[in-house]
Amino acid sequence: MNSKGALPRIFVWAAAIVLILAVIAAVTIRQADQSRADIPVLGTVPDFQYVNQNGDVYGAADLEGKITVLDFIFTSCQGACPRMSSRMAELYNRFSATDRVQFVSVSVDPARDSLAALRSYAERYGVTDDRWMFLRAPLDSVKWLSRKGFNLSDEFPAGHSTRFVLIDRKRNIRGYYRSDDKASLETLTTHITELVKW
Amino acid sequence: MERQTRARKFRRFAVLTVAATYILIFVGGLVRASGAGLGCPDWPKCFGRWIPPLNASQLPPDIDPALFNFTLAWIEYINRLVGVVIGLLILGTAILALRHFRKTPRILYPSLAAALLVAYQGWQGSQVVGSALEPIMVTLHMVVAFVIVSLLIYVAQQAYYLENPDAERSSGYPRYLRSWIGGLWGLTIIQVILGTQVRSQIDTAATENPLLSAAGLLAQTESLGSLHGLLGLVTAVFTWMAGRRLLRKTEYPSALVSYGTKIMIGIVTAQIIFGGILVGFGLPALVRLYHLWVASLFVGVLLILFSALRSKEGIQHE
Repeated sequence: MNSKGALPRIFVWAAAIVLILAVIAAVTIRQADQSRADIPVLGTVPDFQYVNQNGDVYGAADLEGKITVLDFIFTSCQGACPRMSSRMAELYNRFSATDRVQFVSVSVDPARDSLAALRSYAERYGVTDDRWMFLRAPLDSVKWLSRKGFNLSDEFPAGHSTRFVLIDRKRNIRGYYRSDDKASLETLTTHITELVKW
Repeated sequence: MERQTRARKFRRFAVLTVAATYILIFVGGLVRASGAGLGCPDWPKCFGRWIPPLNASQLPPDIDPALFNFTLAWIEYINRLVGVVIGLLILGTAILALRHFRKTPRILYPSLAAALLVAYQGWQGSQVVGSALEPIMVTLHMVVAFVIVSLLIYVAQQAYYLENPDAERSSGYPRYLRSWIGGLWGLTIIQVILGTQVRSQIDTAATENPLLSAAGLLAQTESLGSLHGLLGLVTAVFTWMAGRRLLRKTEYPSALVSYGTKIMIGIVTAQIIFGGILVGFGLPALVRLYHLWVASLFVGVLLILFSALRSKEGIQHE
């Protein structure tokens, strides 16, 4: 500090350090971006054909061409389902600017969940368009879809899974996310965004 | 003489700590710019382990495997490792101050304060992760880092003056420039706070609508962003003017003030360029990182200049 010649050398060192840090940072940011886009394929959704809350046929083919977040719920559930559907509603609102992302909730209690009950449930969570579907099907078929299709619990209705499943536009399962964990939902948001880009 | 030798050794250690703390601020900014803040969803461990898992099969059963991203986990983990090392350096500075400068309050107290704050900062880091990166928590984490590095700079500079009691003996600075530099420091703090608010608005907009383009995100922060840009230009103009006066209108400025002034001018110019690139080129992550990091350097340089000018109190040459 007290030598006039010493500081310019410090400037050179400082400039070198700033440049080295820039290279390290650029590589790190690039690696991080690439890692976010690297979402594994965990399986494929099997064929199914159910009915949505409006009485229209809705099947596996309707998953194609869209990014889908799917869960299993029942409308009279007092425990996890209201929390799950609130989180799903947040995602539904977050992605309201695009019709490339859709949401599907499958009833695990078809005996009590009539189409009217599903419509009323949809209304309660602010569903105003076709981006969030509520599906109804015979119990055995839903158990089969949960167990065989998604490798999730079929202890219905109370023991249904509380996870959200992410499905890409080719019907590939890309991830399972805890619906009760903020960090998991942030990761799900990131993964949806990445899949929409491709 | 012995006191000067002790001061020199302490000053070297403190300067090393300041430099290391700036590296940590850079690494922390890199965590944010690369989106690796939740790379380790738990704290202090990472996915329940002291060393992050190498693959998903090593994850503990209670942690959602969807959260695991090898790259992001290691970026966040390296930030924590660097944090521990720098925390120890700051603790070392405080211990040295306690041993050798117990009767020098201007060195002792800021050193102890920095050590206490770095312990708080470690804990606050856990709150940042726990809140899933709530903007206010991230901002607080950054503000504390700025305070810590400012305290350390002050300590290093005071040790430098103990080591070189004649460092400012021949120099003479117009009195008003001290207030000017102090005002610039205050303006910069306001700019940093405004910048964090701009960033928070962008983060919130991105959370509410993750598919929004960079232009769309910028539009969300139009008024605050414009104010930040305008105030940035004002800061730059006053910095250039203050720098020009410091270099031309002072008598025998010390090497510290002379080089500090040149660095200050260079930094503020870089900041204006970075700000322009952020607006014009869609908020590139690397430039976001440098914009924040260079702001922390600017705060440090202003503090050094202010302390240097203040040390001349009573022997002004108008």
